[in-house]
Amino acid sequence: MANSALQNVVLPVAIIAGCFAAIIGLTGPLDRGKPKLADGFTDSDLSMNGSRLKGFALGMEGLLADWYWVRALQYIGDKMVASKDANIDVEDLTSLNPRLLYPLLQNATDLDPHFIGAYSYGALVLPAIDKQKAIELATKGVNNNPNEWQLYQYLGFIYWKVGDYEKAAEIYKKGAEIPGSSSFMKLMAASMKTEGGSRTTARTIYAQMLSESDDQAVQITADRRLKQLDWFDERDAINQTLSAFNERNGRCANSFGEIAPMLMQVKLPEGRQFRIDAGKRLVDPTDAPYKLDKDKCVVTLDIEKTRIAPEN
Amino acid sequence: MQSGSTNYLNGILAIAKNAFREAVRDRILYNLIVFVLLITVGAIFLGELTAGQEARVIVNLGLSATLIFGTFISIFVGVSLVWKEIEKKTVYSIFSKPIGRGEFIVGKYLGLCATLLANLVVMGTGVTLALLYVGGKQLIGGVWAAVLLIFLELTIITAVAIMFSSFSTPALSALLTFFVFIIGHFSSSLLEVATTVGTKTAVGFFTAIYYVLPNLSHFSFITETANGMLPTGSMIGSAALYAILFDVVLTTITVVIFSRRNFK
Repeated sequence: MANSALQNVVLPVAIIAGCFAAIIGLTGPLDRGKPKLADGFTDSDLSMNGSRLKGFALGMEGLLADWYWVRALQYIGDKMVASKDANIDVEDLTSLNPRLLYPLLQNATDLDPHFIGAYSYGALVLPAIDKQKAIELATKGVNNNPNEWQLYQYLGFIYWKVGDYEKAAEIYKKGAEIPGSSSFMKLMAASMKTEGGSRTTARTIYAQMLSESDDQAVQITADRRLKQLDWFDERDAINQTLSAFNERNGRCANSFGEIAPMLMQVKLPEGRQFRIDAGKRLVDPTDAPYKLDKDKCVVTLDIEKTRIAPEN
Repeated sequence: MQSGSTNYLNGILAIAKNAFREAVRDRILYNLIVFVLLITVGAIFLGELTAGQEARVIVNLGLSATLIFGTFISIFVGVSLVWKEIEKKTVYSIFSKPIGRGEFIVGKYLGLCATLLANLVVMGTGVTLALLYVGGKQLIGGVWAAVLLIFLELTIITAVAIMFSSFSTPALSALLTFFVFIIGHFSSSLLEVATTVGTKTAVGFFTAIYYVLPNLSHFSFITETANGMLPTGSMIGSAALYAILFDVVLTTITVVIFSRRNFK
């Protein structure tokens, strides 16, 4: 009886446990022993072209498009993680050299021409890499989905980013003509020519994206841009106050505490107010404390802690 | 006293019921269904990596897994249904009863189709529940339309599998059926390639393939479903008619081959 239990239970369990222990032990050396791929491997050209794959995916083109989409997200994510720059400027990602983002999104949208998420992500990220490619992808989205007003919004957004307000107004106008489009499109079509370069227009565009997009990537980017605009407003107000203090006292303030009463009287756009954390420090829109550069007598971001890209 | 046609239908029904029972007892079937459901659950977690595209990934991955594993079930169960009866010699006892070879083949085919339908309902329910979990209920209608189209496609694959198994070994039949599945999805693309680069012979050859082999891309609606589209009634109706016509042709060929087969 005892022998039988030993043979049928204990021995097999011991063998299985022993083998698994050996497998776990082997995993590390196997990983370490694997030869490293060349540095540029992740940036080597895609071996497949989405338009050629189409029709050969056994009816599962959407699944392949999703695969390219996830690869695109990972590609940019890996680039950012691998970057030595602690505070990447989201307005200009050329330093990361993400040359495969466009072909990856191109493949995803070749396989699934109605993949709105891929077009919207491209419209937000590609302008920071290659503006012409961003326009090409968004135009392709509009051509493939002429009744999706959001795609006109993204194309108009790119033209606005590159400063072509005439073209942006034209695109917003076309999008506004689509039944069911947001009133925002009409507003942009009207204000783009006269106020295209203003911060108010930028705020309206990003606020619209944040409130109406279902796409998480769009929401994250729009939220980040809105916080950046808040920072620009606060920076201008604080610097003006510091300048006024300097003129009045013949020296720069020693701390933000010295100009706090003056700051409290400043009216920020949208009725916002300056924010103070639990340690009574003046904080930026991402809750990182502001720094005072006494030499230049200006406010700066704490680049170690903030999540705001410093300049635009 | 029953008429000849009633007897014929009763015979088919008896064989179909038996084939259904036999197929649902097959353990490999359950393994495949569980695997599809696991993939669907996996799609929920994978969806979290896709920046707000969870519902789309669930539809694409869930329905693609349903198509692939449904095809495996059609092929592997289809090629063995008739072969097993011959190999175990149970076919003799069946034919000693008042059941003809035609009734036998049609009954086996319908039994497997019923099994596939039951499997697809389970898989479709899995995808539906996953969609409800991530808040993608607007895609559910499209999912069931796509499942119906997948079922129509699988009825053709099943008919092809049974046809090959009526005169060939299970391994070869499975291989040939898989080729038909692949070519069936490529045929319209091959026709396009032939017309752009090919000679007159190539165009003729690919045009013949296009019409003789089932064009399975008529049943592909997974990508569209993931984008919130719904097939029109006329599209489903045409696809159903197309599938039924091919099913009738293939089953008739199978009956003709099987009727001429000598079991001695």
